[in-house]
Amino acid sequence: MRLSARPLAARGLFANADLAVGAMALGAVILAASVGPLFWTADPISGSMLTMFQPATSAHPLGTDQIGRDLLARVLFGTRLSVVIVLLAGAVGAVLGTALGLVAGYFGGAVDSVIMRLVDIQLAVPFILLILLVMAVVGPGIFNLVVVLGVTGWAIYARTARARALELRDLEYIEAARAVGASVPRILRAHVLPNLLGPQLVLLTLDLPRLVVLEASVGFLGLGVQPPTPTLGNLIGDGRAYLLNADWLVIYPGLVIAALVVGFNLLGDWLARRAERRAG
Amino acid sequence: MTAYLTRRLGQSLIVLLGVSIIVFASLYLTGDPAALMLPPSASRAEIDAFRHAMGFDDPLATQYLRYLGHALTGDFGTSLRFGSPVTGLIAERIPATVLLALVALGWSTLLGFAFGILAAVRRGGAIDFLVRLVALSGQAIPVFWLGLLLIIGFALRWHLLPSSGYGRPINLVLPAITLGAYYMSSVTRLVRISLIEAMQQDYVRTARAKGLGEGRIVLRHALRNALVPVLTVQALQLASLLGGALITETIFGWPGIGRLAVQAIQNRDFPLVQAIVLLAAAVFVVVNLLVDLAYAALNPRVRL
Repeated sequence: MRLSARPLAARGLFANADLAVGAMALGAVILAASVGPLFWTADPISGSMLTMFQPATSAHPLGTDQIGRDLLARVLFGTRLSVVIVLLAGAVGAVLGTALGLVAGYFGGAVDSVIMRLVDIQLAVPFILLILLVMAVVGPGIFNLVVVLGVTGWAIYARTARARALELRDLEYIEAARAVGASVPRILRAHVLPNLLGPQLVLLTLDLPRLVVLEASVGFLGLGVQPPTPTLGNLIGDGRAYLLNADWLVIYPGLVIAALVVGFNLLGDWLARRAERRAG
Repeated sequence: MTAYLTRRLGQSLIVLLGVSIIVFASLYLTGDPAALMLPPSASRAEIDAFRHAMGFDDPLATQYLRYLGHALTGDFGTSLRFGSPVTGLIAERIPATVLLALVALGWSTLLGFAFGILAAVRRGGAIDFLVRLVALSGQAIPVFWLGLLLIIGFALRWHLLPSSGYGRPINLVLPAITLGAYYMSSVTRLVRISLIEAMQQDYVRTARAKGLGEGRIVLRHALRNALVPVLTVQALQLASLLGGALITETIFGWPGIGRLAVQAIQNRDFPLVQAIVLLAAAVFVVVNLLVDLAYAALNPRVRL
């Protein structure tokens, strides 16, 4: 048993398979969700009792549900909605966290302390519980869901943005900008933010799997988007009652979730490694 | 050491206070907690009477301090659904959750370390690839989907294991697998990467130079140092374990805190939900504090 001391950048035979597998899983799901409904025109919302609980046939490639709706159509629409919600929520978290982090790092002092304590608090709360609590209070709905999911993710972006702002704020070109009278928002936006876009994008990609699962979990527990509108989570939540008659109702939406999570994870890992290598 | 301890305790208290404010404030997101807690059919007069009875018409600061004061003495109010004190309801459910969590943590940590070490030692090869695939799948599969798949396979199709129930060891099998799978994957990934990093340090070269066996180097020297990052991240993962318990317990009808929380949310039993969120945060904060203290024991370079 001899351990090699190869540097981290040298990777084995299988390492580059990551990107290919990730891109393929992600590409397939996103392509299907975006253009699939154009080609597969079955109605995702209304069905017929005549066709309920049918296993896969050529008319219904993924079978039908308890009220005879075509599962493929529902999965396609559900995936589309879930992906949109997750991307929007990710953007909300990234923007909010980056803004707060920049402010904390640039100003330092009391502002910094308060924001960083908030980060600690955010990281200390089991957010699924908090999300459920807030969703129960404000009521289900796409907008509420995006905001609530988004707010759960800001802390990680705030940490990196703060660190970067701390590093940059005393550099000469920032001082020069200050000297010629640039306002603080302008300095942050034009001179600090561009340095952050790459790292924050990597973070966002790595955070998307968490959001996919979180959105699906909330939907599964019945507090997300309400039926009959399908999402990946509420499809599984609904299907759970019919495990004996129709386990496909649970299996297929879950496969899509797994593909999304694997895809975003592999893509994010690859982006992170690439950024690391660039940074030297 | 004392100064450090005092500072960390202070930070933990601030975090818990913050959580209590969030939990308290969440009821006011819609403006009127009284209307929120009563069924939609409640009349105006009923809502007003309830608001007064619950003290929701006092100033917010007064209400918060009262809430905090009661919470500090272990009084989290009365469940709207069960009509009994929240504290008792939660206490009843704690043993089931602790049992499930310990069993899940136990198997997943053991297997995670075994896989992680194996992959790190055989880095870049087929075993490494397989382990990474297993770890990635474990992280990709949402808890609720894994639970349902296990029920479909082991309970409904093959009739090997019960899909619900409580009290016998066999009832624990599927829930513990479901809850531990994600944790196992993340332990595996972390052990692998920290061990790979540790194996490149100078002290490993020294150990090799003085002729120690490779197994001894990995287990006694590298692994010991790789433990620190693993421990840190795993403590943070505890929050997701609690989230997983919520869903696992719901799927398997496990009579623990997680299922209680979901039921409480579905029943709009807000005092109960608030108490559970606070409890979960407190557990999390305490565990993190303990982990920080454990650093010193594991890593002599950390001086407190």
